[in-house]
Amino acid sequence: MIQDWRDVVQILLNGVMAGSLLMLPAIGFNCIFAVLRYPNFAVAGFATIGAFAGWVANAQWGLPAGVALMAAFLVAGAAGLLAEEAALKPLRPAGPLTVAIASVALTLLLENVVRFFFGNELRGYDLPVLRDWRFDGIRIGPQQLANTLYALATAGALFLLLAFTRLGRAMRAVADNPTLADIKGVDPDRIARVAVFIGAGLAGFGGMLIGLDTSIDPLTGFRVVLSVFAAAVVGGLGSIPGAALGAMVVGIGEEMSSVLLEPAYRTVTAFLAILLVLMLRPQGLLGARG
Amino acid sequence: MEAYLVAMLVFAGFYALMALGLNVIWGLAGMVNLGLVGFFAVGAYASALLTTKLMWPMPLGWAAGAALAAAAGAAMAVIVARLRGDYLAIVTLGFAEVIRLVASNEIWLTNGTDGISGIPGPWRGAVTPQEFNLVFLAIVWTAVAIGFLLLARLSHSPFGRVLRAVREDEDVAAVAGKPVLWFKVRAFCLGAAIVGLSGALYAHYNAYIAPDGFAPLLTIYVVLALTAGGVGSMRGAVLGAVLVLVLLEGTRFLAAAVPGVSPVQKAALREGIIALSLILLLRLRPQGLIPERTRTLHAPKATP
Amino acid sequence: MTRTMIGRRGALLGAAGAVGSFAIGGKAFGQGAPVVFGALPPLTGAGGPYGPAMLRAIQQVVDEANAAGGIPTRQGGRQIRVVAEDDQTNPDAGVRGARKLIDVDRVSAIMGTWASSVTTAVAPLCWENRLPLFTVSGADSITLLPHQGYIFRTQPNSRLQIATGADFLIRQGARRIFHLAAQSPFAQSSQDVLVEKMRGVSGGAVAGYIVYERDKTAFRTEVDQIMRSRADTVFLNGYLPDVTILLRELFRAGFDGRRFTPAYALTQRSFETLPNEVTNGVMTWQPSPDVQSGAFRRLQTRFGNVEVDPYSAQTHDHATLAILAAAQAGDATGIAIRDNVRRIAAGDGAVVDNVTDGLRAIAAGRAVNFDGASGPVDFDERGDIRGTKFRYERAAGGRFELMELT
Repeated sequence: MIQDWRDVVQILLNGVMAGSLLMLPAIGFNCIFAVLRYPNFAVAGFATIGAFAGWVANAQWGLPAGVALMAAFLVAGAAGLLAEEAALKPLRPAGPLTVAIASVALTLLLENVVRFFFGNELRGYDLPVLRDWRFDGIRIGPQQLANTLYALATAGALFLLLAFTRLGRAMRAVADNPTLADIKGVDPDRIARVAVFIGAGLAGFGGMLIGLDTSIDPLTGFRVVLSVFAAAVVGGLGSIPGAALGAMVVGIGEEMSSVLLEPAYRTVTAFLAILLVLMLRPQGLLGARG
Repeated sequence: MEAYLVAMLVFAGFYALMALGLNVIWGLAGMVNLGLVGFFAVGAYASALLTTKLMWPMPLGWAAGAALAAAAGAAMAVIVARLRGDYLAIVTLGFAEVIRLVASNEIWLTNGTDGISGIPGPWRGAVTPQEFNLVFLAIVWTAVAIGFLLLARLSHSPFGRVLRAVREDEDVAAVAGKPVLWFKVRAFCLGAAIVGLSGALYAHYNAYIAPDGFAPLLTIYVVLALTAGGVGSMRGAVLGAVLVLVLLEGTRFLAAAVPGVSPVQKAALREGIIALSLILLLRLRPQGLIPERTRTLHAPKATP
Repeated sequence: MTRTMIGRRGALLGAAGAVGSFAIGGKAFGQGAPVVFGALPPLTGAGGPYGPAMLRAIQQVVDEANAAGGIPTRQGGRQIRVVAEDDQTNPDAGVRGARKLIDVDRVSAIMGTWASSVTTAVAPLCWENRLPLFTVSGADSITLLPHQGYIFRTQPNSRLQIATGADFLIRQGARRIFHLAAQSPFAQSSQDVLVEKMRGVSGGAVAGYIVYERDKTAFRTEVDQIMRSRADTVFLNGYLPDVTILLRELFRAGFDGRRFTPAYALTQRSFETLPNEVTNGVMTWQPSPDVQSGAFRRLQTRFGNVEVDPYSAQTHDHATLAILAAAQAGDATGIAIRDNVRRIAAGDGAVVDNVTDGLRAIAAGRAVNFDGASGPVDFDERGDIRGTKFRYERAAGGRFELMELT
């Protein structure tokens, strides 16, 4: 199957492109986890909502894809915030696992909200499908490259936000130690809202990127969610650089397995990656001990 | 109508068994298991294959289904024992998906996505379909009753108390000289065995199993059943399972009564109402309908 | 605690009450009560893109039959009512839905099951309750079940379907075929048939065979393997969501060979999802009525601008078969329908291609032979269709043009 170095490069490239699609939902998942300390399984729902919001902006209203991506971010973020305030926040006193379980129900609810309004039909964005560029036998898709850049740029923007702004510092403070942050006068509630908005928004943004590469229907988020969780866990729950790294590991691993193992066992690879990493480092690649 | 109610009670029995099994792993020992449907599938496939290919008698097949699921549970427990709850949730979710993929792809063993049909059922064919339903109703709910009594006693036994101690604080339990891993493995084994038994019974009731049937949705329903009923409470587990089934089936009639929406919208409404009711239930009764009675009082967390 | 117990009991009683009144409401019609058909299509889950259209087709036929006076029986014309339950593309949910249709709604037939797993799970319930089951599922094992004649499958079994498809590709000049299949009950049997067919041609070979997970969203590595195999033809043996992604990916990669896919994986609707330059030239095939037949012309005029995918063409025929069989028997029980489907679906009777004409002919005491939208729908003793023709079409500029019908 692998005949020369080009094949290896091609698989790595495919893996990076696949990984960059998982990256933003994984970062979103970890962003929420970092501040609120519970796994929000509804990222699948937020991704689908974002994909459809972007579709409405792009295919219905004729806005360019870049603007539609903003719409995907904002609508999914708003949906995330609304769901958090209305459904999940009141459950926080019952413990993080109750919230996590409720978020499972929430993702089922979101999927069906989308289904109710849009039906099950596949939808495509209003974008030309471009031929791949070829460099010495290596194939790169302009759309996939653009998606990778979008994902990297967005992740980069988040890093900058976290590293250099007051808000970012406050978020990191709450993530590190909520009690201490509270004492220092950071309002943990406000930070939680921001984290949920950004996290769900990133999931939505990522959902639309997946849609740009494929087509969308109410199951769009659900199809990738296991890989997204895998990426988040491999990188370390709550770690944002970890999620980015984890997404790449899972993306490349899945593409590798398509060649070395059987393609039908792709998801198994993601799972094996989780197990392997957790056995060696129970806190994930870049996770903090906790 | 009666036939329908009986059949649904049989289904409720499967869910109740699963919820009981989950309650040992999660409720008592505090290990979240979102891979339930994987153990369910292991039990179902084991019993179906042994009784159709090797012609084992059914009760032996059921026992083997439970035993194999227990073995899978033990392996799982050893692998995940050191993991925190949230990691555990995701790893177990992945495990179930792996089982489903193996069942889909290892055609030589499982017959792939075609599934296994013609699985025997007790007196199937010799009695009318409705009598068969009643027979199975008796079998499943006897299993639920035995499981319930056994687990209810167990949860108040020293074993149960240690599991709770492990759940509340592993380190304290370890310091008190309890072999934490050994307790976790046993809890996982027992819980997985009950879930596996449920799967084995299910295979023989339905006469047919296929990978499609072991989708994560089933796990979600059972986890929600236990959460709604009350994590840690055996009565809650059974009640929650019945409640989820009432929701699943009741929403059919509810959604059918909504005027002016298309069939897809009705289907979406139905699933949406199920999800929404469970969220509301958690909101109104976060500890479940029947909270665990022996719930240890949480001491205020010491600052680190 | 007591409060919840009462609340719960109240809720249960309420639910039981609602169910009870529902059943009584059904019985209260008394004489000439409507005949109830159960539809069990996938409205959520993986089959979601297909189920709604399948259900619409059934409803359309039933409305048409009701307008024509319903099913004539000794008690006079009986109207028909369709009750639909969502099978959630899951055998567990499918069985619960079927139980409800059978025991609560007392349906006379169940139609429109899609996933092979759902059909196989529901089938025993149908034959135990003496109800015919009309299905579009493709798994070859379905009609091999001990179903006592209760299963009617309008989807050709994979052997027939793949063998004719392979013959067509060979006629088109295909020699090296790459087989890319979604994991399904007929992936392996398709591959076996394909290998056998290609071996019979000089220079013929199956250049590659990959089975993939249906839920995948990225297929770049698979497409790389297709490109490397130097296949002149790729056979995309999947479903709408995955084939849509694959066609896009093949276009990007610059694949210039033949692309061949079942008609249910590339429908009229795909042209809204994919730009024309991606779909142009893709060939599809499906069972079809004869080009000379009224059924085909009717299909063209009636559905000319409306999407009719192979599955809804088939459920259209399910409903028509059930109605005409009941009319022929003068009795709408499951057994009567089972025993009369073959009488109205084949034979020397007047060829009819729609439910209104069929009902009229039967009322006039004439023998009929129904030719449906999905083909002549003649069933063999196992319940498989036989003697159907296949229609080959090519996508061009956002529509399908007929290549051949053999």
